[in-house]
Amino acid sequence: MSIMLKAEHLHHRVATSEGPLTLLNDISLQLPHGQSLAITGASGSGKSTLLGLLAGLDRPTEGRIWLANQEITAMDEEQRAELRARCVGFVFQTFQLLPGLTARENVMLPSELRGERNAGKRAEEFLDRVGLGHRLQHYPRQLSGGEQQRVALARAFCSIAPIDHSTSSSGSTTSNGILFADEPTGSLDAHNGEKVIDLLFNLNAETGTTLVLVTHEQRLAERCGAHLRMAAGEITTEELPGNLSEVSA
Amino acid sequence: MLPLRLLSRDWRGGELALIATALILAVSCVTAIAHFSDRLTRAMHIQSQSFLAAKRVLQSSKEVPAEWLAKADELGLERAETVTFASMLSAGDEFQFASVKAVSDGYPLVGHLEMRPTTEAQSRETRQGPEPGKVWLEARLLPLMQLDIGDELQLGDSSFLIDGIIDHEPDRGANLFSMGARLMMNTDDLAATNILQPGSRVTYRYLLAGDDAALDRYLKWLKPKLTLHEHIIDLQQGQPRVAQALNRAERFLYLAASLAVLLASVAVGLAARRYGLRHANYVAVMKSLGAGKRKILTIYFGQMAALTLIATAVGLTIGSLVQSQAVNLLQGFFPVTPPPSSWQPLLVGIATGLACVIGFALPPLFRLAQTDPMQTLRQDWSNPDKREWFGLIPGPLSMLLLIWWLSGSLAITAALLTGLALLVAGSALVNRLLVRGRLAALGGSWRIALGSLQRRASFNTLLIAAFGTGLLAMLAMFYARTALIDEWKMQLPENAPNHFLMNIAPFELEQVKRKIADEKLEGTEFYPMVRGRLIAVNGTKVTEREQKDGSIRRELNLSWTDTLPADNKIVAGDWWNESNRDGVSVEVEVAARLGLEMGDVLRFSIGGLETEAPITSFRTLDWNSMRPNFFMLFAPGSLDNFPATYIQSFYLPPEDKLFVNELVKDFPSLSIIELDKIIDNIRETISQVAIAIESVLGLMLVAGVLVLIAGVRASIAERLQEAAVIRTLGGRRQLLVRSLMIEFGLIGIAAGLLAAAGTEASLAVLSQRVFDLPFNLHPGLWLLGPLAGALLVGTAGTLACRSAVSQPPLKVLRELA
Repeated sequence: MSIMLKAEHLHHRVATSEGPLTLLNDISLQLPHGQSLAITGASGSGKSTLLGLLAGLDRPTEGRIWLANQEITAMDEEQRAELRARCVGFVFQTFQLLPGLTARENVMLPSELRGERNAGKRAEEFLDRVGLGHRLQHYPRQLSGGEQQRVALARAFCSIAPIDHSTSSSGSTTSNGILFADEPTGSLDAHNGEKVIDLLFNLNAETGTTLVLVTHEQRLAERCGAHLRMAAGEITTEELPGNLSEVSA
Repeated sequence: MLPLRLLSRDWRGGELALIATALILAVSCVTAIAHFSDRLTRAMHIQSQSFLAAKRVLQSSKEVPAEWLAKADELGLERAETVTFASMLSAGDEFQFASVKAVSDGYPLVGHLEMRPTTEAQSRETRQGPEPGKVWLEARLLPLMQLDIGDELQLGDSSFLIDGIIDHEPDRGANLFSMGARLMMNTDDLAATNILQPGSRVTYRYLLAGDDAALDRYLKWLKPKLTLHEHIIDLQQGQPRVAQALNRAERFLYLAASLAVLLASVAVGLAARRYGLRHANYVAVMKSLGAGKRKILTIYFGQMAALTLIATAVGLTIGSLVQSQAVNLLQGFFPVTPPPSSWQPLLVGIATGLACVIGFALPPLFRLAQTDPMQTLRQDWSNPDKREWFGLIPGPLSMLLLIWWLSGSLAITAALLTGLALLVAGSALVNRLLVRGRLAALGGSWRIALGSLQRRASFNTLLIAAFGTGLLAMLAMFYARTALIDEWKMQLPENAPNHFLMNIAPFELEQVKRKIADEKLEGTEFYPMVRGRLIAVNGTKVTEREQKDGSIRRELNLSWTDTLPADNKIVAGDWWNESNRDGVSVEVEVAARLGLEMGDVLRFSIGGLETEAPITSFRTLDWNSMRPNFFMLFAPGSLDNFPATYIQSFYLPPEDKLFVNELVKDFPSLSIIELDKIIDNIRETISQVAIAIESVLGLMLVAGVLVLIAGVRASIAERLQEAAVIRTLGGRRQLLVRSLMIEFGLIGIAAGLLAAAGTEASLAVLSQRVFDLPFNLHPGLWLLGPLAGALLVGTAGTLACRSAVSQPPLKVLRELA
């Protein structure tokens, strides 16, 4: 099984008024195509920072990262953005929908940034798949929290370019895309959280996308194939199913 | 086109509407003021040209060569002639001295005549003088000569039919000292009268108008050919008082346009900053979705380009409509219909739009492209980007360049720069004092207000500077306008002398004084006057000095008095006193031109006799005072050996005009110079200019208030959220209203105080370098500034935030989420 995401000896430090602060200390991991990884830990443990670095939103102070077989730590910001546009999707705790755009327009945005012609049709398909086909023209403020997160899910899956779908040697559908989700149920009640998570895993399975999930919820982490626990910027525990032993650093 | 698609979506979201509104406001304000100023300036010029009845006048004491006139015709210039001289009129047994003006066809080239066909008829405007064989008379001549319309009178060898009464001639002031009542005739009749003989004292005026370029070409051709007998008159020479008023008004309008740019820039700057801040999240999301810096810049610059195009077009249209409505509303106040505007104000509008966008809107967008997605999405501001302050440089820079271009005046630009520099430097300081102050000890609402000020310390510095700029613009305009109008009023007070009495013989002096006193007229003192020529300084002939100053080529009016005349000021030496009873006091400017120094001995030739006097003082005097003024004032008794006549000026109300006839009848040797019509003309023009200035001030105040609103809106969301949270926690409505009033009131006071300092500094430069007015301190400004600031900013802020205290807090929080 080929590797979708790999990190080697990541260190990340930032300058603060009180002096340099180490956010991540010597993190290494790897994740095959189509698999899912949960990262858990207390607030301030560095899990969201790690997620951002893995997605190429920032560069680590030290260490190397490969995403879809390309070393993103060797890329400039424009190249990383281009890679993200092709194969990275995001789901945020606070949804991060653009308030001035309708649900349809929010979902269209990634396709539009890639310059695709059928952005509207694709957005409608994904909104339909998350059960919001009837709320296309609604603005985020007109949607409940659960509905907003479902729109965010649709947008995240829409972010991954369709042309990169491929078929693995085993015959199952895999995608060259990877979805990063940062506390996707953190702002939702239990019922809505459950619904969103079901959708996330179902869509993930359907599209064969790789999934990296940051969460507080043990129940959610257990649904992932692999699980890293973090504290003070370091990995403290790794739970690796048998067939994913290579996830370990 | 992704930028355009996003533009239309953003527009719905209301984000871009704010920046577009500010841009439209900027462009429309500046366009309206530029259009208005352009049209008013042109109207004022047309009106001012009517003082000459032409664009330029070639004046001569003899007829000019025919080829000069042929050249003017060849260049396609419009041409007319007037010939003025004094002559005796007769009708039966009545004789009267009159100031005769013969006018050719086409007179006046600019402006109009006003005449009445009968004594009872209403005055009507006409562009043509009397027909051959007919004359028009000034009204007071009819009773003086016991004549009526339709009668005949004799002038030289010809007799003429009296065809009407002349009420107004535009260039009456051109020959300021024309004596006697007016008779107007046609130039075709002039030869037949046989009045004009070689050596007659006549003024020929060749009026010129037409295409400016052709006129310039003609004058360039003509000037080398002029002799001592001819000279060209423009408004500056013809009516220096009006010319000065117009110059000042023009500068005021340029200042207004510059300040409008300033206000507009602040509005755009505030809106753009808010747009940039609110879009940081958009950009962070777009970056996470794979948009690179280049893509972000393409999107936002594309949007801004489209927005600029649309807003500029809308702004130009609104600005043009507003000025045309303003001109229509004020139509009745202008004697001349303002001509259509040129294309230049549109260019000014476009330049303003571009400068505002480049200077104020693009820097926040550049910064937007630098957004760190991780930091933004996690709302982690522990490491603020210190480069933000660099983004504040292009705005003021582009604004100052635009003001320089617009006003064409380094002095205006420097004045505003000085004011702004003071304002910005003071903002940080005042804000710091506010934040550190111990006002929080005053209680609940003060604590909330001060806490709010503290949390937004750096933005408040910007806000104080922005509000301060708005207030500075309004205060500077208000005070500049007041100074100008006061100066004009002071120059031409209601009862300014409008008649001069000259050639009063010493034996008639007491009778004339009694006559004036009996009529209860306000008049100046009676000054003795002898005519003499300055011939030597310290024993050296003045031939060389004559080249430097025309005033000593002719005879001077020399006078003496014990009391320093009102409006005269001694600037060096002493006025007459016990120890100083001999000498001459010289007007300071003529002294400078002639290189005279204190103690120099001046020799004068008076009627063939000579007298000497040392210079004992230098004086300034006010030529605009309408009082008798003298270059040389002697000590009493110095000129007792020379035959003198007396001169006086007095104010005669229009309804007592026939008193002039009584004076003429009682004292036939008296010369009366009537300036009432000229003063009316000047007053009319100046009041028109004042209306223009008042209207522009009105527009500026509207623009200033809009900037204040933009400033308040720029900081409103955060305040709304805080207010909603406080209400949720049980804070009472009253407490919140009070704290908002305190917070905005304090910001307003700080801005007003700084604006007062900035305005004082700007006015110091403006009054001396731009308006040629004396420098004065303005104590009222220091009260008005903070008061206006507290009132305007406090009210605007509290009103803008009223939804936070009147709506259910949950609703506010949900809307802001």
